[in-house]
Amino acid sequence: MAALESPPPGTPSAMRHAFGSVLSALILLLIGVLAFSIRLFSVIKYESVIHEFDPYFNYRVTQFLSKNGIYEFWNWFDDRTWYPLGRVIGGTVYPGLTLTAGTIWWVLNSLNIPLSVETVCVFTAPVFSAFASWATYLLTKEVKGSGAGLAAAALLAMVICSIGIRLIFLLVNIMAMTLIGYWMSCTLFSIGVSFSGIFHKCLLIGFQNVSFLSKWLSLQVPSYISRSVAGSYDNEAVAIFALIFTFYLYIKTLNTGSLFYATLNAIAYFYMVCSWGGYTFIINLIPMHVLLCIVTGRYSPRLYIAYAPLVVLGTLLAALVPVVGFNAVLTSEHFASFLVFIIIHVIALVYYIKGILSPKMFKVAVTLVVSIGLVVCFIVVAVLVALVASSPTKGWSGRSLSLLDPTYASKYIPIIASVSEHQPPTWPSYFMDINVLAFLVPAGIVACFSPLSDASSFVVLYIVMSVYFSGVMVRLMLVLAPAACIMSGIALSQAFDVFTASIKYHLSGSSNSKDDAEDKTSTNNASKDDGSAGKTDKGEESAKERSSRKGKKKEREPADKPSVKSKIVKKKALVLPFEASIVALLLLIMLGAFYVIHCVWAAAEAYSAPSIVLTSQSRDGLHVFDDFRESYAWLSHNTDVDDKVASWWDYGYQTTAMANRTVIVDNNTWNNTHIATVGTAMSSPEKAAWEIFNSLDVKYVLVVFGGLIGYPSDDINKFLWMVRIGGGVFPHIKEADYLRDGQYRIDSEATPTMLNCLMYKLSYYRFVETDGKGFDRVRRTEIGKKNFKLTHFDEVFTSHHWMVRIYKLKPQKNRIRGRAKKLKLKTSSSKSAKKNPWI
Amino acid sequence: MVVGTNLASRFFLFTALLFAAPISFADSEHDSDLIAELISLRSAADSGVIRLDDDGVSRFLTSVSTPRPYSLIIFFDAVDLHSKSEFRLVELRREFEIVSASFIANNNGSDVTKLFFCEIDSTHSAASFHRFAVESLPHICLVDPWMDNLQDESGQMERGDFEGLAESMAEFVERRTKLTVGPIHRPPLLSKTQIAIITALIVISIPILIKKVLKGETLLHDHRVWLSGAVFVYFFSVAGTMHNIIRKVPMFLRDHEDPSNIVFFYGDSEFQLGTEGFAVGFLYTVVGLILAYVTNALVVYLDNWKTGYEIHPYWPSSWH
Repeated sequence: MAALESPPPGTPSAMRHAFGSVLSALILLLIGVLAFSIRLFSVIKYESVIHEFDPYFNYRVTQFLSKNGIYEFWNWFDDRTWYPLGRVIGGTVYPGLTLTAGTIWWVLNSLNIPLSVETVCVFTAPVFSAFASWATYLLTKEVKGSGAGLAAAALLAMVICSIGIRLIFLLVNIMAMTLIGYWMSCTLFSIGVSFSGIFHKCLLIGFQNVSFLSKWLSLQVPSYISRSVAGSYDNEAVAIFALIFTFYLYIKTLNTGSLFYATLNAIAYFYMVCSWGGYTFIINLIPMHVLLCIVTGRYSPRLYIAYAPLVVLGTLLAALVPVVGFNAVLTSEHFASFLVFIIIHVIALVYYIKGILSPKMFKVAVTLVVSIGLVVCFIVVAVLVALVASSPTKGWSGRSLSLLDPTYASKYIPIIASVSEHQPPTWPSYFMDINVLAFLVPAGIVACFSPLSDASSFVVLYIVMSVYFSGVMVRLMLVLAPAACIMSGIALSQAFDVFTASIKYHLSGSSNSKDDAEDKTSTNNASKDDGSAGKTDKGEESAKERSSRKGKKKEREPADKPSVKSKIVKKKALVLPFEASIVALLLLIMLGAFYVIHCVWAAAEAYSAPSIVLTSQSRDGLHVFDDFRESYAWLSHNTDVDDKVASWWDYGYQTTAMANRTVIVDNNTWNNTHIATVGTAMSSPEKAAWEIFNSLDVKYVLVVFGGLIGYPSDDINKFLWMVRIGGGVFPHIKEADYLRDGQYRIDSEATPTMLNCLMYKLSYYRFVETDGKGFDRVRRTEIGKKNFKLTHFDEVFTSHHWMVRIYKLKPQKNRIRGRAKKLKLKTSSSKSAKKNPWI
Repeated sequence: MVVGTNLASRFFLFTALLFAAPISFADSEHDSDLIAELISLRSAADSGVIRLDDDGVSRFLTSVSTPRPYSLIIFFDAVDLHSKSEFRLVELRREFEIVSASFIANNNGSDVTKLFFCEIDSTHSAASFHRFAVESLPHICLVDPWMDNLQDESGQMERGDFEGLAESMAEFVERRTKLTVGPIHRPPLLSKTQIAIITALIVISIPILIKKVLKGETLLHDHRVWLSGAVFVYFFSVAGTMHNIIRKVPMFLRDHEDPSNIVFFYGDSEFQLGTEGFAVGFLYTVVGLILAYVTNALVVYLDNWKTGYEIHPYWPSSWH
């Protein structure tokens, strides 16, 4: 936080301001350290590796970028994936993350800090989450200004700091502990002071406590942690920062009406477009807010300045990103912004005319202008509808459609419905991901309505939209998280403000009123009014600070202030009973403490598993399952560099990044038919599968099998999706053939189709040799078919815990001369040399 | 050799036709009677779906020798199951009627006498159900002119064919009978008079609405409406209602072992029941609202509202 410009030096208030700014800067710094360090659990517990699946692709792209430079990257055609189609990486990837990490790496290297690309990639997400929490601070500050509640921030954040920091490596530890020590003493000082009556005033000085709270919440909200732990090198890591920062700049522009911020806003939006497909959320949310403002009569020139440049510049900039290109003007996701762009111009015209005409003339003009405006709107709507109706999906992409009509994906697009993060969440997911914030958000919503300003209405809209979308797709919980943090921050801060004010009133009131002869109630009211007036003064003061920062301003302020003051006079404010406020305060602190515990637990246990290295705790100690890397290393050392490896698409990115072998399909699921082909092969009997794979030049088939150690997300558990996706394109694969009475089973009751399909055979080949019975520890049953031989595949590698099994396609058999001749005679004309086997 | 068999078969066909000719003439008279009767039944029925009973089945199907001069497509209905929504009988029957009405409306020539839409209800015609070996509903079956054995499954419309409702039913009919159903005429959602009234209302109310909007007096300007809307959406989402809609989750389950015992909470975090979701969603919402009540309604006026910026040109004014 920038140092606040203080009133004349020497006065007590100047001291308080200085103290306030130092403390805020310190807290901000600590919160940044905390945000960074809470995400390091995975590095401490495992090692500095990249997680999951998608990050491996991003890592590979970053490597390419750092090695070959930006122009090569832009024109990169990758022939290592989607064999034989290949993929144009430069034009199909959101480059924000890669460019960011590439730039960081480049800067560090030019400063002679030789970090490897991998290290930079691993730590990009934690660094950006610190940025994101600062952005949240700024946004909340814009929305709800100063408030009380530093005590809460201090008490609660301290807990998490000490817990979190214990696990961080030494340097940070020492640094942070020193800072915390200082901070603690500051806090204790302020708490100590508070009981001598200055507490409340102290709290109000200069601290943007609402924002601190929300920031503190946001830096550790689990759903965000899940996507930004060290090593989770995914688009969302930088995108959430970009999202919040864009919103902050929008609100800032809305509050100031400065074109400078409007320009910055467009640039932040550009960064967001570069980073994540979720930018459509911004370009729909902001127009909705503008429309809302117009409809509720809140149009102002500031609104125009905040919106119009964003649409013009933002759309132009967005079109520069290759993966978006002309979609920025052609697809329905963006149409809302253009429609609102027209509407805001119509409204602006109305206001302009209203300004230059006399009221009477205006009444005449208004009918004219409004009707013309309506006609124009109708025409534009008609044109848009015609345009949209001419495209088959009505111009919407599958993912967006499944947001609008939640049942769409489950009906028509199995490949979207199959991804676990596209499932609708249940209430436990909310509890897991936003925890106690779920209880605080409604209070935050109410707080935003009293009173409603442009900025607070935006946050309300943000939470409403994001909570709805998160209800459709659990993945969008990520977008909900910052909104929930802001709301809860506002709610908590307001609550703390009220409770501390009540306590302070009682403490100071009891000491004063004893010797006072005045009527108790009048004291009550007076001191209450005093308190509120003091508060208003403070508010005014802090507003003045802001205004003094912005320059001449006091003259305009009275326009707002009288209403505020009159409201205070009108409101015969009550003060909560002393005991009640203490209890409520304690309850809130407990709530916060529970949140801290939950977040640390979530960060440490639930979200820090890299999923490429697995561990399990048993009676005889910790087991580490490093089978994936073992197998990818085997592939890269024992196979030819041009060999093709087939596996289900989940493992595509990892195979190309870690084994450097060509894959058939990968996690960028752009070609459904290709994926369905692999699905069909996996669901077919051995011979048919061999033919399919052979036609794709596949040399090796990789399957992931968890039956031996009980790893549940293996291929057998994903198999029904392979059948569904395969059957969607090749109708001879029918899901019903793999189910016994609608149940998916692999024991002796399983259907013959299931027991003979390639996936079953490759997974359970020789499995009976492990324990003599063939007991599958994931499905908790003995397998149906135990002793069988493979006719078309050779087992070449099985990892230590049997998690990855690699098979080689047997070469085509030599034909027996006589038989071959006979066959030739019989089918001389009909057979071609290599026909397409799966048609 | 191939040529030889071909010739022989043609010869047989020719002789067979010669002998069959008089019989078929006698038949054709009877046939045209039946057709006339079916047409009259059809014109009497709603949207052209003929209600068949056991007599009708024997009269129009079993007692007529193949090839019959017409095909029948039969919808098997059960009035007492209409209340159970999982069978979708009401919906499918309505779609069936739409196909029938569209077929009659689109075809004028001889085609219209080749296909008749019928329905059989289980309460009055249990014997026919038995005759067609109907075991489960919904069941739609096409009896083509050559079908002798009514239990033959080849005429049965597969589940996939009525999933897509009227359009796919029509496709099925076209595929099997080689007749064209033509475009489906759905009855419009609102009748013409209703549309006229609504447009008139809209036209009248537009000026009033505009006036109200300009004055800022609409419901939209009431904060309480927005507030309750926002809180409702929040409640709706955190209750996992969307999950319940997509997965078609029931409100509660009955215990397998003890049917009188109702299960409200499901022991799996990936799944929830309707009541469970609403209960927890209510809890999530109500706690926050109580906190808001305590801090807003009971207490001191709070000034943490940020306003008062003014408009100025490009650079923030503090930079001057």
